[in-house]
Amino acid sequence: MRRLLLLLYVWALALCLSGCGMSLASDRHDAEKLLLIQTMGLDREDEHLVMSVSSGLGPDKEPALVMSAEAGGIEDAIARLQNYSPENQLFYAHVQYLLLGERSADQDLDSVIQWVDRSPTLRMDTDMLVVKGSARDAVVDASEQATDITQRLASLERQARSTGWTINTLRQVAAALAEGDGALCLAVQTAPSEGRVFTDEQRSDAVVPAGYAVLDQRGLVRFLSPEASLGAEVLTGGPSGLLVTVDGCTMELLDGEAEVTGRFSDGGAPEGINVRCTVRTGVLEKPLRDAPSPEALDAALSDTVRSWVSQALACAQEDRCDFLGLRQAALKNAPDKEALDQAWRELFPSLPITVTVDGRVDRSYDLAE
Amino acid sequence: MDEKRITRKQFAAAITVSLLSPLLRLLPQTAVGLAGKGAWLSPLPALIPVLLLALILESLRRHMRPGEGMGGLLRRWLGPVMGRVVPALYAAWFLFYGGFILRSGAERLVSTVYASSGQGLFAAVTIALCLTVTLGQMRAAARTAVILRAVLLGALAVVIVLSVSNMDADRLAPFSWQDAASAVPGALPLASVCGVAACFSFLSGYVEKPKNGRWLWGTHLLLLALGGVICASVMSVFGPALTARLTYPFFIMIRSISLGDMVPRIEAVVIAVWVGADFMLVAMLLRCAHEALRPVFGLPDPEGLPMGSLRGGRFLLWLEAGAVFACSFLFDLPPWQLKLWSDRYIPLGNDIMLYGGFTLLWLATIPKRKKEKSKS
Repeated sequence: MRRLLLLLYVWALALCLSGCGMSLASDRHDAEKLLLIQTMGLDREDEHLVMSVSSGLGPDKEPALVMSAEAGGIEDAIARLQNYSPENQLFYAHVQYLLLGERSADQDLDSVIQWVDRSPTLRMDTDMLVVKGSARDAVVDASEQATDITQRLASLERQARSTGWTINTLRQVAAALAEGDGALCLAVQTAPSEGRVFTDEQRSDAVVPAGYAVLDQRGLVRFLSPEASLGAEVLTGGPSGLLVTVDGCTMELLDGEAEVTGRFSDGGAPEGINVRCTVRTGVLEKPLRDAPSPEALDAALSDTVRSWVSQALACAQEDRCDFLGLRQAALKNAPDKEALDQAWRELFPSLPITVTVDGRVDRSYDLAE
Repeated sequence: MDEKRITRKQFAAAITVSLLSPLLRLLPQTAVGLAGKGAWLSPLPALIPVLLLALILESLRRHMRPGEGMGGLLRRWLGPVMGRVVPALYAAWFLFYGGFILRSGAERLVSTVYASSGQGLFAAVTIALCLTVTLGQMRAAARTAVILRAVLLGALAVVIVLSVSNMDADRLAPFSWQDAASAVPGALPLASVCGVAACFSFLSGYVEKPKNGRWLWGTHLLLLALGGVICASVMSVFGPALTARLTYPFFIMIRSISLGDMVPRIEAVVIAVWVGADFMLVAMLLRCAHEALRPVFGLPDPEGLPMGSLRGGRFLLWLEAGAVFACSFLFDLPPWQLKLWSDRYIPLGNDIMLYGGFTLLWLATIPKRKKEKSKS
């Protein structure tokens, strides 16, 4: 009897700590009233922050709830959004995508990182994208009856996976910025869906990749050109799936790797950086006539990739922003790591960089005919 | 074996579980803040003070009589005045420290899971559970510790294994000798956490006699190894700089873990399980405080009486629990102030009371120990 009473006593105490039902905890959630936010967009308009959210399609294809609120800060915006949906409790634990508008990426990134750190719901591993223009447009205007921004971004993520683009998470960006380096973030833009037939009511914009945005502690540094974005992709090691057309041949990048090493004098002073890239492609299409020889194609591929990589490196040096992880790589073989680490910021913009690319074209057996 | 006694393994489990609470409060961010990239190597320099303290405690333990804890030894060796003042000081510190753990544990749970809840509720429930355990038998608490150790270490292993996909060893590299040297200041929080094990010397009277003087080394080595693994895993996920900036990097790391679509998040379970470590530490501190005060007031052993009995000085346990609960309200501070207490004042207090206090005691009692040895 005594044990039973003791057990009941312990159970009663434990029940008080549970998160639902009869709990005494004041922030318990009723599952039926939760509205799971899946995509969140942030924009900066003068002194105001605009937060746009989308709940994603419901389990029975109910249309997504899309809302936008303007406020002084993130928490304030969340409170306003909650007021717009009094019947539901907006729940941010399942946010999959964080879209930052251009100005917000420039000014609010630090606040976003701090906010996610303090938030008990949001994850650091949320996919982060920078929108060329306004995130509100992407979240709100890109919605239509049959689909919504979350589905579009999920589709873009699948596409990115197969075509070689890398979607970094907030954690990866925050870690790079905290180390004093720059970070790459996939940029997207809204574009009219011209290829698909819509009725007027259904017409909406598509969200398409637009290269990479470069971020550092100063904010949004720049958007990379398509070629420089490809170069950045080759240098950061994830180019598989990218399509490239060289000498009339369309090829798919199968794999590639970049080896970055520091060049030092006998006394240990940094003299430059060597970048050696190896890429392997497979031919998908070739011109019917005058197809290049395999050797010529190898050389042309190497030249093309070298041009991309050089453009990405030039952007990094011009902006004094090491978004390609060159510091980490150069430190590995530095005789005096501490000295190079401290002097890197000053040295980097003027360090001579030598790029060599070894391109190899596979599936080229029919080119030699 | 005496029914009141607990085995060395159970005692080691109680120490391990209890110390997991401050370990995750201070690591990895405090160690990374002090040591930078070298924080994951901090357990190596921390070995020296931790093992020295273990040797001092073992040296003192050898002079304890059967059933006697550190409180009894202090009372016997330091005379009628100091022999009462010093254990009472230790008891006061244990109750104060217990209040801090109660509050900081509630704050961690509230800030990481229950954002809009009050901390008082969690503190009240935890102290009620701790009092229940303290009023019961020591063996029951020790058996609970064995179960909790398996649960907590299992949860830690699961978290680290599931986080492997987010880890990047490059974030720990390149590693220079300067980084290795910087590991030394990072040893301070680790040594401070392991030093808390010295509180448990007040419970020595309940533990079976060890075969040799190195029996606690395994517990210390396990805790230091855990410290190194936690630092390395969190740093390889967030990088040293971001780790030092985040509030609870280990728990933020857990937030990113999912088991596919079936179990998208597991952090609430893991963080709730971690309350077990706070619960065990507060319960043990309550008991340590009681064992420190017992010789001061000449009270009998509280074991064996019914739970509701107030005889044999058991009312003191209720007062001690009340004191811990009251102390927890002293820490009703803004988060940044609580962090300051957590990172600086509490570890400093522990170091003074445990490293400083026991070293002084050991030095001051060298003649007495020599005398006892020559007698025997």
